[in-house]
Amino acid sequence: MNSRRAVFLVTLVALGFLTVVLRLVDLMILEHDWLSQRAYRQHVRSETVAAPRGTIYDARMRELAVNRRVQSVFGVPKEIRNPGQMAGRLSRVLGLKKTALAERLSDRDKGFVWLARKVDEDTVRAIQAMNLAPEIGFVPETKRTYPKGRLASHVIGFVDIDNRGTEGIERIFEDVLRGESGRVMKGRDALGQALSSGEDNAQTGHDLVLTLDEDLQYIVEDALNEAVEHHRARGGVSVMMDPYTGRVLAMAVNPTFSPEHRARPENWRNRAVTDVYEPGSTFKAILAAAALEEKRVRVSDRFDCSEGVIEVGGRRIHDHKRLGVLTFEEVVQKSSNVGMVKVAQILGSETYFRYITAFGFGEKTGLTVSGEVKGLLKAPKNWSGSSIGAMAVGYEVAVTPIQVLNAYAAIANGGVLMRPYIVSDVLDSEGRVVKRFEPEAVRRVISERTSRILTEILETVVQDGGTAVNASVLGNRVAGKTGTSRKIDRQTGRYSRTRYYSSFVGYVPSQNPKLAMIVVIDEPKGSIYGGEVAAPVFRKIAEHALIYLNIPREDTGHVVLVSG
Amino acid sequence: MKLPEFDRGILLSAVILVATGIFMVYSATAVMAMRSEGGDFTFLARHLVSVGVGLLALLVFMFMDYRHLRKLSIVLLVGAFALLLLVFVPGLGVSANGARRWIRMWPSTFQPSELAKLAVVVFMADYACRPFGARATPGMNAAHAIRRKMEHPVTGFLIPLGVLFLIQGVLIVQPDFGAFMSIGILGMSMLFLAGVRLKYFLMLLPVGVPLMVYLLQAPYRLRRVTAFLDPWKDAHGSGYQLVQSLLSFGNGGLFGTGLGEGRQKLFFLPEPHTDFIFSMIGEELGFVRVLPVVVLFFYILYRGYRISGQVPDPFGQLLALGVTLMLAVQALFHMAVTTGLLPTKGLPLPFVSYGGSSLLVSLAATGILLSVSRHRESLGAAVRRPDFRRPRPRDHRAGYKNL
Repeated sequence: MNSRRAVFLVTLVALGFLTVVLRLVDLMILEHDWLSQRAYRQHVRSETVAAPRGTIYDARMRELAVNRRVQSVFGVPKEIRNPGQMAGRLSRVLGLKKTALAERLSDRDKGFVWLARKVDEDTVRAIQAMNLAPEIGFVPETKRTYPKGRLASHVIGFVDIDNRGTEGIERIFEDVLRGESGRVMKGRDALGQALSSGEDNAQTGHDLVLTLDEDLQYIVEDALNEAVEHHRARGGVSVMMDPYTGRVLAMAVNPTFSPEHRARPENWRNRAVTDVYEPGSTFKAILAAAALEEKRVRVSDRFDCSEGVIEVGGRRIHDHKRLGVLTFEEVVQKSSNVGMVKVAQILGSETYFRYITAFGFGEKTGLTVSGEVKGLLKAPKNWSGSSIGAMAVGYEVAVTPIQVLNAYAAIANGGVLMRPYIVSDVLDSEGRVVKRFEPEAVRRVISERTSRILTEILETVVQDGGTAVNASVLGNRVAGKTGTSRKIDRQTGRYSRTRYYSSFVGYVPSQNPKLAMIVVIDEPKGSIYGGEVAAPVFRKIAEHALIYLNIPREDTGHVVLVSG
Repeated sequence: MKLPEFDRGILLSAVILVATGIFMVYSATAVMAMRSEGGDFTFLARHLVSVGVGLLALLVFMFMDYRHLRKLSIVLLVGAFALLLLVFVPGLGVSANGARRWIRMWPSTFQPSELAKLAVVVFMADYACRPFGARATPGMNAAHAIRRKMEHPVTGFLIPLGVLFLIQGVLIVQPDFGAFMSIGILGMSMLFLAGVRLKYFLMLLPVGVPLMVYLLQAPYRLRRVTAFLDPWKDAHGSGYQLVQSLLSFGNGGLFGTGLGEGRQKLFFLPEPHTDFIFSMIGEELGFVRVLPVVVLFFYILYRGYRISGQVPDPFGQLLALGVTLMLAVQALFHMAVTTGLLPTKGLPLPFVSYGGSSLLVSLAATGILLSVSRHRESLGAAVRRPDFRRPRPRDHRAGYKNL
């Protein structure tokens, strides 16, 4: 053996080992920091853990919006050898188009694509049975569900696929309900399977307690929907409120929608706050309140309405029939346009306008539901010669149902305009009250005396000779006012002769009001008068609600017991 | 005069490495085995069987006179060659990842290329020591004849080269590029040591370079070969394996993540129990404990070199250094590949990696080396002692040690 050559070879190999050692020093000591960081990044995946969204309860802690644990299906295109075949197997189970699935699964660069979000348990089981891991996997998610279905859907709203509130309370209180999503560090292997997971620090969202009462809501919705259907109307709104506190007890809108299977976005609007209408005769109570408060009229003052028509600024305003000479009380009771115009002329536009704004028109009530508008209210300097006449009978002013109801609630409670509210408590996950919304007085609008007098006048509306005898409630006195207002024809820009808003707004029991309520029916067919269309709805709701609330009958003092 | 004892340093090194391998194989495969076969001891159990068989082979060769191997050299070579061909027999050959490198052998598989390495070493050592034509030329002694033979272009170079190429040809068809390279290097080293003229090696270049170019034409091979230069450029593609290996070492740092605590074996690191076991040792045991692994191989290299210088007969010299290089070069390649010094190629780490064939052959080679080591001349004794079959010393202490 050539020993020099042996030395040469052995030295060569030894130098090789030395190089390896130097390389190890380089990798394991000098480059340790960034290599280990890089390794950490692939070993551990930081995942966002969505915080469970807060529950929405009604006033009696019944669940209106809750979370359900569901699974979402994802694919790992990197792992999928045959996207077409995989798509074929999944398309039937998921009910998705095979071609669309195959396309998503074909992007071999991707390690993650959603295939179906929040699928039901049967689907999950069917896919699990196919044993497709690691190509197909599941992610637990929470799905917002509304156990009461369509109930109060316009108020509660809904969330998008990522559980972000997009409408209603869900949207307005998004920050409160959402909670703080946490992060969890999950160890994983190269196949993407999680091996271990650390503690997540997700903060559950806060719960909301609404002022709504599920039973009252049901009563109101039921009656409203029935009326809309019966009168073949386009829709309707009905809101019930506690006049002393401003608590909204029920808020129903038709057409309805299901928050989990929603279509037709035009039905999602909470029309009680988003849509304006001309209030018509229901507005006369505002004028009456102003005139009484300013002491410009007395109840017994007489107004000659025998001509049945009055001309204001070149426009003629009619009564529906000649009513003769009426007292102020009768003007309101019989809803005489002629009489009210005369009252408005006595009061003057500036003063009238002051009261209109004092009752909250032309500004948002601040109710925490989505999409509230403030309506349209012209300042006197913009009024035309005929405006005082139109305003006297509830035209040339666009209001929301909630504004009208809130103004009547002020009349009902002795003259104080309250801020209506619909969320009463914010609770943390342990049920402790984080924030409580208290009744808030906006301003005193009229004196208690005026309130009392006006209530007596409004009681006559529901009595014989009034326009709303159909609103009378068994055993309790009702104060209220009907309204029948023409809609503006979109095409001609003029008042339609065939399309109306029929409304009734009032409170009961009138001497000690527990409920204030408005019913607005949009475009009833056949009968159009508020007294015939909306007033019966008011009665139906009020009778059920008073029984439900155990409010004794004024006449006998008996509590009508709920049967069944 | 009493014979020197076998080299206990080498034996100890081998045993330490095998023991390390047992722990690391278990650590590397526990998760894998659980996921695929239902029991996390599956790989360990097979590995332990291999260790047992390997140690048996070590003992057999250790106590056998290495000179018997001369008679076996041709048989060994032809046998290894036949086994290499068996890989292509349907039903016997086992293919994986597009390569046919294994033959079915109950209860496991056998990789004949590992045996071929040993066979080439033994054959070359024997061939280089056969005095062809010594009898034909009167007056010429055997040593002279051998030297003349080895310096002759045909008998010294072309014939053994032909044998080598024959084996390499089979390996390239399998294909097993790693074995192709290591057997080539091993064979060339043996010829180099045997005294083949350097100019012949240089004449090989015009043949070898185009051949390499041709072989690298397969695009996937070229990419894999060049990826090691900058693995981060395509960390998810051609550079993936090396990137994962480098991350393992980097993640291990000075003291490692702890035995069993490595994360890279969780399917990030390809073949953590065989081709990348060194990376895993780096990750789990850290620099302070991976360094001794390198040192152990270096020590084996050093001891093997010393032994080859101390045995009197040329065959023993060549054989000792041949098997030493076989072990050391393989270890070096494995380490260089996993640390990104050489293109990524699947090579097991002798003694440590899972895989019965490699383990068996490595331990057998160690046995041969130990057998040679028993025939070292005593320090300072220049007297040739051809008669190794002297009776063993009856000295109680020595006998005890020989056990």
